[in-house]
This record gives sequence, structure tokens and C-alpha cells, in this order.
Amino acid sequence: MVSQSTAISRAAEIAKISRTFDFILLIPILLVIIGTYHLSMILTVGDWDFWLDWKDRQWWPIVTPLMGISFPAAIQYGLWKHLRLPIGATVCTVCLLLGMAITRWFAYHLWTNYPINLVLPATLIPGALLLDFVLLTSRSFFVTAILGGMLFAAVFYPANWAIFAPFHQPVEYNGSLMTLADVSGYSYIRPGVPEYLRIIERGVLRTYDTYATPLSAFCAAVLAVPLYALWSYIGKLFSTTRFIDKF
Amino acid sequence: MKIITKRIIKFGLLGLLLFSPELFAHGERALEPFIRMRTIQWYDIQWSKNTVDVNQEIVLSGRFHVAEDWPNAMVKPDSAFLNLAIPTPVLVRTATYINGAILNNSMALKLGGDYDFKLVLKGRVPGRYHIHPMMNLRDIGVIVGPGMWIDVQGVAADFKNPVTTLAGETVDLETYGTANGILWHLVWLGIAALWLLWWLRRPMFIPRYKQTLAGDEDALITPLDRKIGGFGIIGTLVLITASFVHADQKYPESIPLQTGRAEIEPLPMKHDVAVKIKRATYRVVQRSLQLTMEVTNKSDKPVELGELNSATLRFFNPALQRFDSNYPKELAVENGLDVQPSSAISPGATATLTVKATDVAWHNQKLASITKDTDSNFGAMLFFYDNTGERYLASISAPVIPDFGTN
Repeated sequence: MVSQSTAISRAAEIAKISRTFDFILLIPILLVIIGTYHLSMILTVGDWDFWLDWKDRQWWPIVTPLMGISFPAAIQYGLWKHLRLPIGATVCTVCLLLGMAITRWFAYHLWTNYPINLVLPATLIPGALLLDFVLLTSRSFFVTAILGGMLFAAVFYPANWAIFAPFHQPVEYNGSLMTLADVSGYSYIRPGVPEYLRIIERGVLRTYDTYATPLSAFCAAVLAVPLYALWSYIGKLFSTTRFIDKF
Repeated sequence: MKIITKRIIKFGLLGLLLFSPELFAHGERALEPFIRMRTIQWYDIQWSKNTVDVNQEIVLSGRFHVAEDWPNAMVKPDSAFLNLAIPTPVLVRTATYINGAILNNSMALKLGGDYDFKLVLKGRVPGRYHIHPMMNLRDIGVIVGPGMWIDVQGVAADFKNPVTTLAGETVDLETYGTANGILWHLVWLGIAALWLLWWLRRPMFIPRYKQTLAGDEDALITPLDRKIGGFGIIGTLVLITASFVHADQKYPESIPLQTGRAEIEPLPMKHDVAVKIKRATYRVVQRSLQLTMEVTNKSDKPVELGELNSATLRFFNPALQRFDSNYPKELAVENGLDVQPSSAISPGATATLTVKATDVAWHNQKLASITKDTDSNFGAMLFFYDNTGERYLASISAPVIPDFGTN
């Protein structure tokens, strides 16, 4: 009887230690993801995500999800392969949003005086949720690459439209037709971001009338599949357990 | 010895932190002199006032000349944007005029052209700021004009930036759409948090890793988990579609971001004074640019050289008394221009002038290093005046030969 209760209390103690270890490990992991994923998005997506008047119909829905699928695919691989946790993509995008929120609020709004609506970040969470759900239900990286990867990129624009549609209302400003986003970008002076730097629907999609967005979303969806595979492979390389297995 | 070195470093860093002056510059001296001298040549810059209240307008106006002798190392100015060197949007821009035409976008500039500009601004964040006109040039960088100190007074919270949409709704750009954007972020963040909590409530690293290693990983996923995954796909797609349709119906007249390039013709200018530089020397020790030039007066009145303006640094001929006391002191040299012979050039006559623009400002403004540039041609604008006060502009450039004073 005594030995049984000792065993129970020992098991409870092990569980407690294991749980404590979970959280001790989780916090630095989340901080690293916030820092690195955010940095990678700053370097690759940059102005497209910083500024309201850069979020066009053609390039923004291509650039952002294609650059944004990197960490979700890599972390998802590691967490699923070694821990059977289908949350890798969601964790990354939540971390990214937290990193962005901190930067936009403190650096852009409080420090450099930009109104928060001019620097509202886009969300990648809906696509990441789909990526995780597809992996959980299919239990296959192959299916996740094709279906999940495509969904991750394809839903980016429609999922963000609820946030950014209000800024696309037309305005007659100084005799020109502009959107509220354009007026905001023009009003709030950015010495280092002149108007000509914006890449607004530059390209050869003109022959498809005004259907630039569905075509961009489709293009992004197709390209997201090999990119998902590539980043999963990088995730595989970086989530090796051979050092742990030695013990 | 080590302790002393460490203390020197420690106190040195502390001293730097305590006694470093606040930095106000915008890098206006950072570009190589040949670029500042031979691209955008600013003149007649004026501020309507130097104190402005929050929500009150202030106008920055002036002119710029696009140098004919555009440096070969620089791409041509096909995309230029008239901007401000400003420490964050402490003022907002409400209108830009180039040669009287309103301009919201970028424009192409013509070499040799003169452009009149006006920037209408509105006070936003109280404080004292050093603000310059600035031209962003694609693939070149920024050419900064002369800066002035502007005081913005009042309370930042009082600032409003109203804009009326074509649907007739007046919105404040300061806050418009922020609550809606944050709300949607919170919605998705909330769903993600539920999804993460669903998994994080269970043991994570060690037990799961051990079970996976043992080949029993499938037991870590329950049938309920899979059901949630399936419903999650459907639910997420439904919510995305619903939010998209809702936004689309709420804003049926939305339009894409607008862009374009403006083509604005330069001002029609009379060039009645022609200048040909025979020799240009920079005397390093004296900090003096010395020019020998042939000036032909094609006007019908006698003219005299009143000013030399190079990269916003202005040298005034004291004989003509045209000193601009409102101009930034560090960029204005009141008695810095010596012109020989000092007599006026008669109509139709050609005269050879020897001009000396002398001051330490060449050094302070980092223009003296023109002699160390890869393209050591200097550039400047000359302002001649007739006896009625009418002004005649001439843009000049020529190779500048350094005189190090060694012989």
C-alpha cells in the first residue's frame, strides 16, 4: 500500500517536472520564433507588409504567403514528426503577429508617430490553421504540401480583405481619384519610402481585365506547394534528434 | 594596466552617452559633393512661417533646377518624388504643387529644367523640428534642400485628418479602420489560441517525444482531434468566405490602389546670360573655389553677378547687397563672393570674370571633398541681376582642379 502510494506520488512528481520542463522550453522557443520569423518577414516581405498603401491586388498576395510559408512549413515538420503536434504553422503565425504587433505599436506608432492604421499588419493565421488542420486530418506531408500549401497561399487575400477593404474606398483628393490607403500614404510623410518605390500591379496581367487577384492567388497557391516541400526539408534538417538520441 | 584600460573604456562610453549632442541632421552632407552639386539645385526656398499650431497649415515653397550636366554615374531622373526630410510625420502633407499643377505621385524630371514647387503641410505632433525639402530620385538616393527649424505647438491629441470618400462619408485618417483591423486580428488570434490551447493543455515535449520514438505516435492523436481538424478546415473556409463577402458587400465601390507617373513641363525660363567656365580651381588651404569664366550678356540691361549657389551653400557678392538673412546661417556666406572686375557687364558684351567663393563652409558642408570624388566636376548656379532687380540664372559645371598649396 505504501509502495503504491509512493509510486503514485513519484509519477505525479515526474508529470509535474515534465510539465514544468514543457513551459521552461516553450518560452524561449516562442521568443526565438517571434524574433527569427519576424526578421525573415521584414527582410523578405518588408514594405508590402509595413504599409497600407503597398498592399496591392497583384504582388502582395503573391509575395507575402510565399515568403511567409517558410517557418510554418519547417516548424510544422519538426513538431509533427517528433512530437505529433499539428500546431507548428499556427504557432509560427501567432508568434509573427505578436512580433509585428509589438513593433508596429512601439516602433512605428509610439516612437515614429505613424498612425497604427497605416502600419496594420496582415494576418497569416487563417492559412496556417488550414495548414495544421490538413496535416492533422491527412497525416501526410505530401497531401499537406499540395492541399495545405495551396490553401495557405490562396486564402491570404480573401482572409485579409475584411481588414483592408475599408481603406480601398475611393476618394477625390486634390482632383485625383485615390483610395483612402493612397491618401494615408501620401499624407503621412515617409522620407525613405518615396511613392515610386511602390510596386502597384506592375506586370503583364493586364490582359485579364480586373481579375488580377484570383490569378495572383492561384499563382501563389501553385508556387506554395514546392516552397512548402523545400521548407519542410529544411525543417527536417534542423529538427534532427541525433544529439538527443545519444542520451 | 588592464583595469585602467577597462576603466577608460567604461568611463569613455559613459561620457559619450552623457555628453553626446542630440543628433538632428538628415544626412544632407552624406552624399558625395558631385551628386549634390550637379543633380537637384535648390533655390528660393521659403517657409510661410516658422511656428505652426496643430491642425494649422504651413507652406514650404521654392524652386529647383535640374542640372544639365547630370553626372554620368547617376541614372537619369525618370522617377522623382518631391518629399520632405522630416523626423517622422510630425507634419502631414495635404497638397503638392509643381509648376502650379497638383501632384500626388512621382514625376519625371527634364535635365536643364526649372521647377516651381509648393508643399502644403499641417502641424501634427508638437515639438521643434529641422525640416528640409527633399527630392527622392530613383536608384540615386535623396537630394536634401536647406533645412529650417519649425516649431509645432499645441496638443497632439487634437490633430484630425478628415477625408471625405466619394460615398460622402467623412473619416479621420488618424484612426479610421483601426478598430476593425484589430477586431479581425483578435478574431483569428482567438481561434488560433483555442487551437493551441487544445494541444498545449496536454503534456508536450518529453512524453510525446518518447512515445513517438517508441513508434506509438498514432496514439497521440485521438479521433476527436481528427474530427476537430476536419471541422476546422470547413469552419476556417466558411469564416474566410463570410468575412470576405461581408467586407465586399459593405464596401461595394472599393477600388485598387492608385499609381501613375506625372509629366510636368519645366518652367519657361529666359537664359539671357551665358556662362562658360574657362578654369575652376579649389584652393584647399584657403577653402576657396576660384573660377575664371566668360560671361555673355544677351539681355538689354547691364548685369552683375550677385550670388553663387552650390549644393544649397550660398555665397553673396557684398557689392550687390542681396544677402538673404532668413536663409539658414550655416549655408549662407554674406561676404563670400569676390567678383573681378566688379563692374556690370553691358548688354551684348562678353566679359571675363574672376570669381572667388571663399569660406570654411566648403569644408563644413563636406563639399571640399569634390576633389576626391570619382567625378570631380563641380556644379553651381549663378544669379546675375540687372539694375531693376531682375534676376538671370545660369547653371554651370566644370572640372575642378585642386590646389593643395604645396607650391
